Amino acid sequence: MAQTVMHEKATIRPQPESEKPRFPYHLINPVTENRVQRFLEAFAAIIEHTNYKPVLDQYARSSMKCSSCTTNCPVYTATHDAKDMPCYRSGLLLKTYRRHFTIAGWLRSKVTGDPGLVEEDIDEMANLFYRCTACKRCTMECPLGIDHGLMTHLGRWILGELRIVPKGLEVSTIEQLHGDSGNTSAILPHALLDTLEFLEEEIEEMLGLKMKYPVDEVGREFVFFPAVSDYLMEPETLMGNLAVIHAAGDADNWTIGTGDFDGINYGLFYSDHVLERVIRKMVGEVTRLGGRRILIGECGHASRTAREFVPVFGGDEVYPVINIMEYTLEKLEQGKLDLDPNVITDRVTYHDPCNIARSGWIVEQPRRIIRSFIRNFVEMTPHGKHNYCCGGGGGTVSVDELHDFRMSVAGKRKA
Amino acid sequence: MDTLAFARGPLFIATMSFMVLGLLRHIILQTHGVVRTLKRTPHQDVPWGRIFRKSAEWIVPVSHMSTAPWMKLASILFHVGLLLVPVFLAEHAFLWARGPGVNLPTMSHEFADQLTVLTLVAGIFLLGYRIFNRISRELSSRADYFLPMAVILPLLSGFLACHPAWSPLPYQSMMLLHVLSAELTFILLPTTRLVHVVLFPFDRISTEIHWRFVPGAGARVAETLRGTPEGAEV
Repeated sequence: MAQTVMHEKATIRPQPESEKPRFPYHLINPVTENRVQRFLEAFAAIIEHTNYKPVLDQYARSSMKCSSCTTNCPVYTATHDAKDMPCYRSGLLLKTYRRHFTIAGWLRSKVTGDPGLVEEDIDEMANLFYRCTACKRCTMECPLGIDHGLMTHLGRWILGELRIVPKGLEVSTIEQLHGDSGNTSAILPHALLDTLEFLEEEIEEMLGLKMKYPVDEVGREFVFFPAVSDYLMEPETLMGNLAVIHAAGDADNWTIGTGDFDGINYGLFYSDHVLERVIRKMVGEVTRLGGRRILIGECGHASRTAREFVPVFGGDEVYPVINIMEYTLEKLEQGKLDLDPNVITDRVTYHDPCNIARSGWIVEQPRRIIRSFIRNFVEMTPHGKHNYCCGGGGGTVSVDELHDFRMSVAGKRKA
Repeated sequence: MDTLAFARGPLFIATMSFMVLGLLRHIILQTHGVVRTLKRTPHQDVPWGRIFRKSAEWIVPVSHMSTAPWMKLASILFHVGLLLVPVFLAEHAFLWARGPGVNLPTMSHEFADQLTVLTLVAGIFLLGYRIFNRISRELSSRADYFLPMAVILPLLSGFLACHPAWSPLPYQSMMLLHVLSAELTFILLPTTRLVHVVLFPFDRISTEIHWRFVPGAGARVAETLRGTPEGAEV
């Protein structure tokens, strides 16, 4: 049964304790029996088959809980709730690992009588791991380099094996991996074609130029994967992408594939298993179309997942990945784009997406593009690698029930 | 053999051996973990330059002083003192000569005293920070209070043993306390979070390689749990 609710921090009218559901988001058929055993079985299987063990050992052995991470966490600085401390949240998982999967923890439990994982711990993890936007800002300030974003990812994967996943993420993933549309927004290919035709008409009306979105063209250099929701909610972005590619002289050098046109990969947020299958689907489409490079739209997490995980999960076909901003700058510097710096006179700033900026991958590129056609560009403080999360990171943007949390807590601080 | 002689002799050798072997075990296990991680993933390049740069940045974290600067300054002083005083104190030179047979340079008594006092002040500040800072207090367990005290004790007792006029105990008792507390630290080093003294170089390696996932691992996890490679979502 789906369970509903808002986290108490984000609830306008406080509910009596007895009426409060256990999770701040809807679920689909979560495991309800033997949860402790099932959690530990999932944890054990993940440790056995993945690379998490050395990281867990490292963190469990050396975490000093110095609280440095709190100074950088946008969620903690908004709530000042001890449970929102990155170290506290990761500590729940590390404590479970230490107690159930290390000899020292087992011995200690014999002395202290520590029962180990209990039902309440699972509920607490289910709440707290979805109060982390996985922005990884805390890691920059941790003297021991503990990546709380990774701990959040792992914690969510274990919970995911108990089907404790926000419905918004799971429904989208089911549609992407098993649905007729094959994408997270459930856009069927004929609807895609209608949308593209509509956008072509719009752009002709706007610019007086005829441009086509190439579809299922074989042997093109770039196969394009935006966040598929752009086709529904951000058509201007896609029109801009078309205009840039057209102006750069690559009109016949790219294509959109009807077999897979979704760059979104919710696996980054909650499961290596989902992450891998979505990457394989993407790589399969590029192979089908005989493409040579993967071009990702503006979406931060789509760019990061493709860049980091195509080499890992792509099999023998390791296609290079390029983000649309990298592409645009490349064409700008080649002199293929001629931008007028006098068109936009408003003051403009740029909010870095965590997934592409935190590592330093895409920080300067958008700024150089912006400065080429906007004179009144101002930076926020902090920015670049030190930016604050928009509040929608870690998949929370796709979970309607977390809207209030996103707007009033996670995304409260921008600069 | 009296108690002090026993503590300085066989017990010292036993606890020191325990520490060395224990720390070596951690280094071997963690090295094995890194090698295993890289072997199981196709993405095997390691950015050693960035790892060294980041490690160096955190050895002297001047670029991170804008947040909690006093805590970080105290932490630097505390670590510097804990590393330098036990190793380069003139009175400890014989331990190095007796054990590994090396003759290390020694620091003057005046400098050792000043550094010890600074280290003690820094250690007490850090302990106070943990007690009086709300954030730190809410994160801390009993071990988080015990460990700094355990590390401070040999430093304090050693200082008092060198300055009998200020010592509340006779020299022999204070020296016994110094040796035993040092030996307790030897035992704690490989068995508690103090192990970060040798795991520090692995911190940044982990940060750089831990997102290197294993192809097919998700399906194998599913097979183990449900007997099918299908995901949990179906």
